[in-house]
Amino acid sequence: MEWNKTYHRRKICVIFAGVALCGMVLLGRLVYLMLFRGDYYSGLATELQQRERKIKAARGKILDRNGKVLAGNKSVCTISVIHNQIREPEKVIQMLVKELGLSEESVRKRVEKRTSIEKIKSNVDKQIGNRILSYGYDGVKVDEDYKRDYPFDDLASKVLGFTGGDNQGIIGLESIYDEKLEGENGLILTTTDARGVEAENIGEERKEPVAGNNLRITMDENIQQFAQQAAAKAYIQKEADSVSVIVMNPSNGELYAMVDYPEFNLNDPFTLTDVFLEGEEEENAEGDDQDALNRMWRNHCINDTYEPGSTFKVITATAALEEHVVSLEDSFYCPGYIVVEDRRIRCHKTTGHGAETFVQGIENSCNPVFINVGLRIGADRFYDYFEQFGLLQKTGIDLPGEASTIMHKRENIGLVELATMSFGQSFQITPIQLAATVSSIINGGNRITPHFGMQVEDAEGNVVEKLTYETREGICSEETSETMRYLLEKVVSEGGGNKAAIEGCRIGGKTATSQTLPRSANRYISSFLGFAPADDPQVLVLVIIRNPSGVYYGGTIAAPVAKEIFENILPYLELK
Amino acid sequence: MSKQKSRQKGTAYFDYNLLFIIIFLLCFGLVMLYSSSSYTSANKYGDSAHYLKLQVRNILVGMFPMILLARVDYRIWRKLGGFAYLVSFLLCVLVMLPIPGLVRSSHGQSRWLNLGPFSFQPSELAKLAVIIFLAMLIEKIPKKLDKFTSLLKVGLLLIPLLGVVAYSNLSTAVIIFGIAVCMLFVASPKYGQFIIVGILGVAFVIAFIFLASYRSTRVDAWRHPETAGDAGFQTLMGLYAIGSGKLFGKGLGQSLQKMGNVPEAQNDMIFSIICEELGLFGAVCVILLFILLLWRMMIIANNARDLYGALLVSGIMSHIAIQVILNIAVVTNTIPNTGVILPFISYGGTSLVFLMGEMGLVLSVSRGIRLESMKQGET
Repeated sequence: MEWNKTYHRRKICVIFAGVALCGMVLLGRLVYLMLFRGDYYSGLATELQQRERKIKAARGKILDRNGKVLAGNKSVCTISVIHNQIREPEKVIQMLVKELGLSEESVRKRVEKRTSIEKIKSNVDKQIGNRILSYGYDGVKVDEDYKRDYPFDDLASKVLGFTGGDNQGIIGLESIYDEKLEGENGLILTTTDARGVEAENIGEERKEPVAGNNLRITMDENIQQFAQQAAAKAYIQKEADSVSVIVMNPSNGELYAMVDYPEFNLNDPFTLTDVFLEGEEEENAEGDDQDALNRMWRNHCINDTYEPGSTFKVITATAALEEHVVSLEDSFYCPGYIVVEDRRIRCHKTTGHGAETFVQGIENSCNPVFINVGLRIGADRFYDYFEQFGLLQKTGIDLPGEASTIMHKRENIGLVELATMSFGQSFQITPIQLAATVSSIINGGNRITPHFGMQVEDAEGNVVEKLTYETREGICSEETSETMRYLLEKVVSEGGGNKAAIEGCRIGGKTATSQTLPRSANRYISSFLGFAPADDPQVLVLVIIRNPSGVYYGGTIAAPVAKEIFENILPYLELK
Repeated sequence: MSKQKSRQKGTAYFDYNLLFIIIFLLCFGLVMLYSSSSYTSANKYGDSAHYLKLQVRNILVGMFPMILLARVDYRIWRKLGGFAYLVSFLLCVLVMLPIPGLVRSSHGQSRWLNLGPFSFQPSELAKLAVIIFLAMLIEKIPKKLDKFTSLLKVGLLLIPLLGVVAYSNLSTAVIIFGIAVCMLFVASPKYGQFIIVGILGVAFVIAFIFLASYRSTRVDAWRHPETAGDAGFQTLMGLYAIGSGKLFGKGLGQSLQKMGNVPEAQNDMIFSIICEELGLFGAVCVILLFILLLWRMMIIANNARDLYGALLVSGIMSHIAIQVILNIAVVTNTIPNTGVILPFISYGGTSLVFLMGEMGLVLSVSRGIRLESMKQGET
C-alpha cells in the first residue's frame, strides 16, 4: 500500500479532531461539575469529612420567687473510648470495670467495638472522672457535662419535673419550659479521614454553647415546705392514698405551692418509691415498670378529675345569687332528704336540718337547700354559668397534662342531674379547676389563670421575658363576690368549717366529703377549700385527702390540715 | 530514505517537544501520585512514599524499552508483527488458567502473570501487539482496504485476541477494538463503513454492559451513584472530590477526599484528586497537556517517512487518546465505571512500561523524518 496519499493525513487529522472534540465535551462536564455543582458536592464532602462533637449547654436553673434554687446543675463527666487510639485494651477494660462498676462483658463489648467513638457511661461523678483521667490511658475520653441537680430532693417533685439523658425536660415545669431552659448546644467540628481519625493540621471549627435562661417561678419554697409537711402528716395519720394541697394567690393566679403527696425524689426519678413498689412486686412484669413510674409521677392536682362535692356549693350559690333566685334571708326546710322526680336524695344529716335560712343552709352544707336553689336556677341557666365561670375549659395552667372537665351534655341534664350537680356530684373537675374558679369568684369576679411561671432571667438576673397570663374580668359581679366572701367566712366562723378557724384571723372556706365511684366501695375524698383574709383574699388553700381511714368528713380531717397551713403561712406572708 | 543517509546529511529530526511533554507528564504524575497516595500509604505501609518509590522504579524500568525502541529503527518490527500477536495471545490465554504461583488475581479477576520480581499484565502487551500487527498487516494488503470485505477479514483476524482479552478485562478489549478501528480508519479511503462499525461497536458495548450481571449494577451506579450503595461509592467519592475543587482547587496536597474516602485514589481515580487540589484550572491544564501530546503525535504520523510508521504512530495516538477520554469520562461519571488508568499519571507498572515503550516507538518514527519533508508537510 502506498504512503503519502492525502487522505491518510486527512484521516489522522479527523481522529485528532474527534479526540479534541471529546476533550471539549469532558471539559464541559468538568465545568458543570466543578462550578455549577461544586457547592452541592463540596457540601456533601464536608459533611462526610467532618465529625461533630456536641458541647452540652448548661440548662437554666429554676428559682423560687425569692431566688432560691429549686433545680440547678451539677458538673459530671461522660466517659467514652476511641477505638483507634486505644493502646492497651485489657488495662483499659479492667480500669473501667473497676471505676465505673459496670460488668466486664458490657465494657469489653464497647471497648472492642469498631466505631470512631463509643460512649461507656454518662453522668459519672466528677471525682471518678478525674480519677479515670489520672490513669492516663490513650483512647479514653472524659468529657465534662452537666447533670440536673435538685437540692430539695422530693420538694414539689411533680411540679418541677426532671430531665432525661439528653437534658430534656420530661414532666412538669422542666418539660413545659424546656425551650426557655435548654439553651443551645455548642459544636466542635473536626475534619477526619475515612476511618474517623482526626486529620492533623486542619484545626477544628468551634461553636460555643449558649447556656439556657433561668426560670423564676411563683412558688415559695417555704410555703411549699409547710404545705408538703402538712400533707405528709395527714397522709401518715389518715393512712390516705394521697393528699393534695394547692396554695395560691386568688387575686392573680400565682401558685405558691402545689403538693401531691407522696412525692418522689427528683434526683432519682426512675426508682419507684416504696409505696409504688409494693403493688409492683406482686406483678413483677417488665412492661408494668413504666406504668408504675407514670403513676408515681402523676400530679393529681391537675392530671386527674374528681367529684368536688360540697366545695362546689360555692359555685352553685354564686350562680344563684347572680341569677337573683335566692336571697340570704330566704328560708328553707330540710327534712333530711328531698324528692326530685322519682328520686329521693338524702342530706348528709339524715335527721334533717329543719327550718333554716340560705345562710344557715350554706353553713350546714345542707344538700336539700342547694338542690332547691339549683332547681330554681334551671338546667339551662346553670349550664350557662358553668361556661361563664370557665368550668368547661381547662384552666390553662403552665403544667403539662391538665385534665378536662367531665360534664353532662347540655341537652342531657334532667332534674335529677341538675339536683346532683348543685351539690357537686355527677360531674368531675380537677382540683386546680376548683381552686381557680373559687379564686375567681372571691377575687371580685376576675377569671385568673393559675400559673407557676413568673419570668425568664439571664444568669445575672436580668429579666429576659416577663410571663403574662390571661385574665377574664366580670365572670360574676363584685357584689356577688362580696356576698360569697361573707358567706364563706360564716361557714368557718359558725358552720362546718370551724375546725379551720384561727383566732384573730378572718378565714373563709368550705368543706366537702365526696364519695368516689363506685359508691359501694365506701371510699371518700375529704376536702377543704379556704382563703384568708376573708374580706380581701390574699391566699387560698385547697386540701384534698383521698381515701382516708377512719373519720372521713372534710370538716373534721381536711379543715385542720388547712388550718395548720394557714397558721404557718399567714405570719410568713404577714397577713395576720 | 535510509536512516544512515539522513544522519549523514545532518538533517536528522528528533521530536524534543514530544520528549519534553512525556517527561513533564511523568514528573507531574509523580507529584500527583505522591499527593494522592501519601496519606493512605503512610497508614497502610507506614511509609508515605510507598507508591512513589514503586512508581519511580516503574519509570526507571520503563526507560529501557523507551530508549531502546527510540534508538532502534522501527522498521524491524515489521517482521515481528505476527510473532507479537501470537505471543500476546498465548500469554492472555495463560493468564486465564488458574496456575498457582504464576497467575495473580485481583478483584476476582486474574490479570497478572508473576515473573520473578515483576508481575505483568498480558493485556497491556496485547495493546502494543495489536498496533504492531495491524500496521504490518495493513501495509501488506495492497490497495484492497477500500473493500468492506477486506476490512471484515482484518477484523476476523483480531477476534481471537479480542475475545481472550474481553473474557477477563472488558475495558482493555474496548480499547484494543478502538485502536484497531482507528488504524483501519486511517488506512482506508472511505468513511461510511466506519460509521457503521462505530455504531456496531457502541451497540456491542451497550449490549455487553446490560447482559453481564455484575456490569449492569455498574450501570445503575452510573445513573444514580447516590443511591447505588457500595457500587456507586467510588464514583460518588470521586464526584465529591471533583466538586470540592471548584475553580482553583484546594491547593496541592490539600485534598481531604484522598484520606481514604476515594478508594485507590492513586489509581484510576487520580484525576478526581487532581481536580480537588488544582481545581478546574489544573484539570484543564492536564487535558490540554494530553491534547498537546496527541498533537505532537499527529505531526509525527503525518510526516512519517512511510505508511508503516504513520500507522504505528496513529495506533499509539489512538491508544493514549482512548485511555485519557475513558478515564476522565469515568471519573466525571459521564460513562459507567470501568477500570481504565490515566496514562503516565496513574499508578501502575505494566501499563507505564508499555506506554513508555510506545513513546520510544513514536520517537523512533520521528527520527526518520527529514527536515525537508517536515517543511513539506507543514506547507
